[in-house]
Amino acid sequence: MNITTDPMQGGFTLEDILRDTLDSTYIDDAYYAKLRNDMVEWEGKGTLLSEAERHVYEALIIEENWLLDRRAFERWYQLYSRKCVYWVPAVGDLPDPVRSDPQRQVTIAFDDRRRLGDRIVWLRTGVAYSQLPPSYTSHISTAFVRMPSENKSEVKVRSQFLIQEMRAGHEIQTFSGWMGHVFVEEDGITKIDRKVVCLLDAPRSHHNMTFLL
Amino acid sequence: MNVHTTTGGFGHLIEDRRVHRTLYTDHSIFNLEMSRIFGGTWTFLAHASELPNPNDFVRKRLGLRPIIVTRDREGKFHGLLNRCTHRGATICRQDEGNARRFTCPYHNWSFTNTGELAAVPMEDGYGPSFDKSELGLGKLRVESYRGFIFGTFNNDLPDLKIHLGPAAALLDEWLDRWPGAELQLRRGQHKLMCAGNWKLIYDNAADGYHPGFSHASLLRMRKDRYGGGVDMQWALGNVDDGLQTVSDSGNGGTFIDQRAEITRYWDQSAPMPGEDTYARVIRERLGEKGEAALDVVMGSGMNLNIFPNLLIIGNQIQVLEPQSVNQTHINWYATALVADDLPDEVNSLRMRLQEDFPSFGEPDDLANFEECQAGLEIEEVAWVQTGRHLDTGREYIGAKGMLTGPVSDELPLRVFWQEWLKRMEYGNAWVAK
Ligand code: FES
Ligand SMILES: [Fe+2]
Repeated sequence: MNITTDPMQGGFTLEDILRDTLDSTYIDDAYYAKLRNDMVEWEGKGTLLSEAERHVYEALIIEENWLLDRRAFERWYQLYSRKCVYWVPAVGDLPDPVRSDPQRQVTIAFDDRRRLGDRIVWLRTGVAYSQLPPSYTSHISTAFVRMPSENKSEVKVRSQFLIQEMRAGHEIQTFSGWMGHVFVEEDGITKIDRKVVCLLDAPRSHHNMTFLL
Repeated sequence: MNVHTTTGGFGHLIEDRRVHRTLYTDHSIFNLEMSRIFGGTWTFLAHASELPNPNDFVRKRLGLRPIIVTRDREGKFHGLLNRCTHRGATICRQDEGNARRFTCPYHNWSFTNTGELAAVPMEDGYGPSFDKSELGLGKLRVESYRGFIFGTFNNDLPDLKIHLGPAAALLDEWLDRWPGAELQLRRGQHKLMCAGNWKLIYDNAADGYHPGFSHASLLRMRKDRYGGGVDMQWALGNVDDGLQTVSDSGNGGTFIDQRAEITRYWDQSAPMPGEDTYARVIRERLGEKGEAALDVVMGSGMNLNIFPNLLIIGNQIQVLEPQSVNQTHINWYATALVADDLPDEVNSLRMRLQEDFPSFGEPDDLANFEECQAGLEIEEVAWVQTGRHLDTGREYIGAKGMLTGPVSDELPLRVFWQEWLKRMEYGNAWVAK
């Protein structure tokens, strides 16, 4: 494979990802239990973010959206923690900890850090025909609220989204729904530990979902 | 050559080593397929685990027809046309549920889950010629084999098990990887949509020629991340020198066997989240038997395709739902294996593994099928090649008496078109009966 090392990537290169996390050691019963508990907490009554919270969490989600829209997947990857998950349930009408339980259900995407790396390397091979031509996206997030949570070392933010996706030669696709972000501090830096993307049309057929939500 | 697609038969569109492009693009042919192929032969409807209890039902389609598959209170399966015999409304509007009766929302005629007309409001508005026993729902002939429920309008066909032929024994092998385990479908689905004719997807399900090329992205990603040795290694190089084979499993059914290439299932599996943690738990819990339990996490190494709409691939069940001549829905049902001596962790891993190919493999296939559809619209280049290995002398009578060839053989295409022609020329089996 030809790896293009772009100096503008500031060290967040594909080579970094190729070496990053080649085993899967943290998805276990406790992790799945945490995700079920998250689902319960996403149902709660959120409060508007304070000005200080906006500068950290809303800013990070806006940054995430921007990096995805710019196809800067290597930089995007580094927004996530060492034990992260990127999860897109295949069921609608969420939150619901039972119907969405990924331990018992297949999902549209359930990526631990390793599979997230696989996904980026796969996107960058240049021979993924479902991404030739590539998808360009526009992510809009809004209605950010902080959720009450049992775990004081984490911060939970729920938001609504609208994503449009365009591949040359194909009609523009529109996706909407809500997202949950769980933030943790790792080495003094705020990282995304878990992201769940709950699509309005999750249970329907999809035409090419090989881009990142 | 002048090809007529709307009049006369179809034989002139299907030659020994090529078929005509209009089979994939002509609307009138598509409409006839929906009435003659789907329902004209034993057609997959549903899996028993989708309706496990008495009076459960699921709403499905048979070609373009809305249907209901029910389990009556004795446990017997029925296939009913979802069409009120009064003035035509669908009577069932939910994907699944439990009901002894279906009441049409329009004027409340109500039908039992075996299809009889049970009650009509203000029945005295009908005269003496009104006979409820003649106004039951349209019914399919229904049989099941080991949980796979099929239906047809065709009374000339033999019983399902005989019709399946060698595919029944292959289905046994697919199901019996863990003795005594029950297969369950109620684990969610990947639902995919393809702007291509449904047959492009069936064609591909036994195409052992394409993986090394079409799946370059997956193969390259694995190699760059993990080095050699993992997942789909049998797709590399000249696959006809390898151990995979392709066979005619009868009545339009086709079969790719990759099992001889797999020395150790678990070691040759694609990566999946939770792999290291759960492998340790399974080994601790089961001791020596743990290795066999890990092996049933990985796909079966079989592609078993049952004409016209059921593709059993790896651990997944794919069902084709044609929408129009150039639109197809593909429902990938995840499966779990349930047995007292099989820990839950096996299924947690199976769920994660069954997300792998729909993420990194199938989308590239679907992109190619859509490009096939675009190319096939070109009028001036009329034919699609189906003759690979027809005259290389490599075909032989293999296991279970099946005609077998090297894995890149286009035998599956030829087998499909033979059966397709037979069903199309038979006509609509409902009318015939
Ligand atoms: S159409 Fe069903 S009751 Fe009238
Ligand atoms: Fe493929």
